[in-house]
Amino acid sequence: MENIEKQLREAAGKLLSEKKVDALVGYEKGTLPYQTAPCVITEPGEADKLVWNSFCSVNLAKYVHDIIFQHRESQKRVKPEDRKKKVVGIVARGCTTRSIILHLQEKQYERDEVVIIGVPCAGYVSNKKLNLAAKGKEIVECSFDGDTLAAVTQAGSMSIPLKEVLSDSCLSCRYNNPIISDMMIGNPAPPMNPGSEYVNVDEFENLSDEDRWKYFSKEMAKCIRCYACRNTCPSCYCKVCFVEQSQPKWVGVSIDESDTQVFQIMRIFHQVGRCVDCGSCIEVCPMGVDLRKFLKKLDKDGVNLFEHRAGESLDSPPPLSAHSTYDKEEFIFEP
Amino acid sequence: METRLIKKDLLAGLIKGLAQDTLVYAPVQDEDNVLFKVLEKGMEPLTEYDNTKNAPKNFFFPQQETLMRYLKKERGSELLGVPGVTAEAVLFGVRPCDARSFVLLDNIFDDPQYRDPYYVDRREKTTIISIACTRPPYTACFCTSVGGHPLSSEGVDVSLIDLGDNWLAEFVTEKGEKLMKKLGDLPKGDEQWASKKEALAEKAAGAITTKIPGKDIKPWLDENFDHPFWDTIHASCLACGTCTYLCPTCHCFDITDEIKKSDGRRVRSWDSCMYWLFTHETSGHNPRTSQKQRWRQRFMHKFKYFVDNFDAIACVGCGRCVMYCPVNIDIRKIAQDISKL
Repeated sequence: MENIEKQLREAAGKLLSEKKVDALVGYEKGTLPYQTAPCVITEPGEADKLVWNSFCSVNLAKYVHDIIFQHRESQKRVKPEDRKKKVVGIVARGCTTRSIILHLQEKQYERDEVVIIGVPCAGYVSNKKLNLAAKGKEIVECSFDGDTLAAVTQAGSMSIPLKEVLSDSCLSCRYNNPIISDMMIGNPAPPMNPGSEYVNVDEFENLSDEDRWKYFSKEMAKCIRCYACRNTCPSCYCKVCFVEQSQPKWVGVSIDESDTQVFQIMRIFHQVGRCVDCGSCIEVCPMGVDLRKFLKKLDKDGVNLFEHRAGESLDSPPPLSAHSTYDKEEFIFEP
Repeated sequence: METRLIKKDLLAGLIKGLAQDTLVYAPVQDEDNVLFKVLEKGMEPLTEYDNTKNAPKNFFFPQQETLMRYLKKERGSELLGVPGVTAEAVLFGVRPCDARSFVLLDNIFDDPQYRDPYYVDRREKTTIISIACTRPPYTACFCTSVGGHPLSSEGVDVSLIDLGDNWLAEFVTEKGEKLMKKLGDLPKGDEQWASKKEALAEKAAGAITTKIPGKDIKPWLDENFDHPFWDTIHASCLACGTCTYLCPTCHCFDITDEIKKSDGRRVRSWDSCMYWLFTHETSGHNPRTSQKQRWRQRFMHKFKYFVDNFDAIACVGCGRCVMYCPVNIDIRKIAQDISKL
């Protein structure tokens, strides 16, 4: 891991000093023992603060999108002939590159506006699972020891097998190595267990309508409408989200059951063939809403109906953005 | 001040009893989270917990509140009245930091000139029982840096202090003493309590190791609205509302009319300075266009504007925003970094 970090810092410093990128998005050490923080660096000297470990959780592709779009906004005041592109570097694991592919397919930015430093990924620690493993106690010290996590809480120290606290998205990850990159760091990571990808969905599908709705309602009742899920999601990049539109107003602002459900259902449905299962929305949710079950169901439908997985290849556009005469249509005529 | 002893294992039952005929809001385990919720009949509250994820301000200042109802007619609308007065209630298990948030929020909602009837009504009818932090729960706690204390009874009617086998209950206010009568016969507390409390308080305060500069950075904030430092904190911010929605002192809101067919409700709901929509004007102009400006606003509101207006920092040091920020933007670090400038 240290070796990857060293190479990562060298590569990032080089990109910045050679002015191949104007800014670079990565992770830095956090102020809490079990977190890293996303960071944006612009000077070669800052490259030394980059880290790479299993606490690097949120998908950074959203930052690339935001930085480029903010830059374009500011370029509006510049004469067309003087306008410049802003090139953003990014530390990207498999799922991050899937998001970049999706951005490129959806024409959000050009390939030459992003420089991808690919890193192999062995999965990241889910805060929710870590909290459960620590029985709700605050973790005051935490370090990796091979495949285990040595944690100290106010109740004492404990050793947690890493596998037990890795995010569900990581455990069944199909693409833990970058799909596209401009440079690769480290050796390819060993495969995870994609065979178990839809286990939870299969179970959920077998429940009765009432039970499924009950579960959905229970999960949505936890939501406080902070929008952390939407804001971290690389696929949620609408300039103005429907939630914030008022003419017409699609959804009320309150946490009335129906308002929250409408917000979440509509966000989830906008992810058909677009969710890369990076798990960021689940990871950032302060209330622990189980969004993955519903997103994975759509993902499974995408695979079964269109043989498509979001961002798996630049040549395979999202099913709702493409048309084929062989597209399945039974679900329309015989739902 | 009256004091009483409550046997360790009897407390939860006493509160459960109160909930038989009174509205009780208390910490309960809700799947992975400890949350303040209405204690349904037969439910027992938690008495051993670190702190709740949601702040108890929610009880006085709920995320959404109907201010009035109206009937939309072909021409104009007819006022259907305002919601009735609330019932007597007990807010159990508040940590001293969160209890201080009520004192701070009173400045806003109980201002003699602009008295908020909804907030004040609940506040007046609610008896607050705190559980003092003899062992401060988190390393992210920093109440002592912003004017609080782990054993403080500021904003509290009844303060419960863990003495090992017993809870020592201090009945701080008249409201608290009234509640004492409802609790039945309880043995009196130790006569020498006051002197013993001092040692306990010192130990608890000593356990809070995180220190941040509180009012010390106010002079810098007064002078440095345009300082380049403000460019350094927001880059990773998701612009979500986690920090503001879990914060015990954040109190910004929006008022909207929610209409279903002809039934209209004027609703007050939480808003967050982290959202671009917060300052978006009808004309389309937005005076705060970047997350930098929004972050500066959040910090300045807590550490400068509130101090200007009410001579107190609008932060109680509970650590929620520190622990639950999805991208680890740490308000403690910001304050510490400013003090080094």
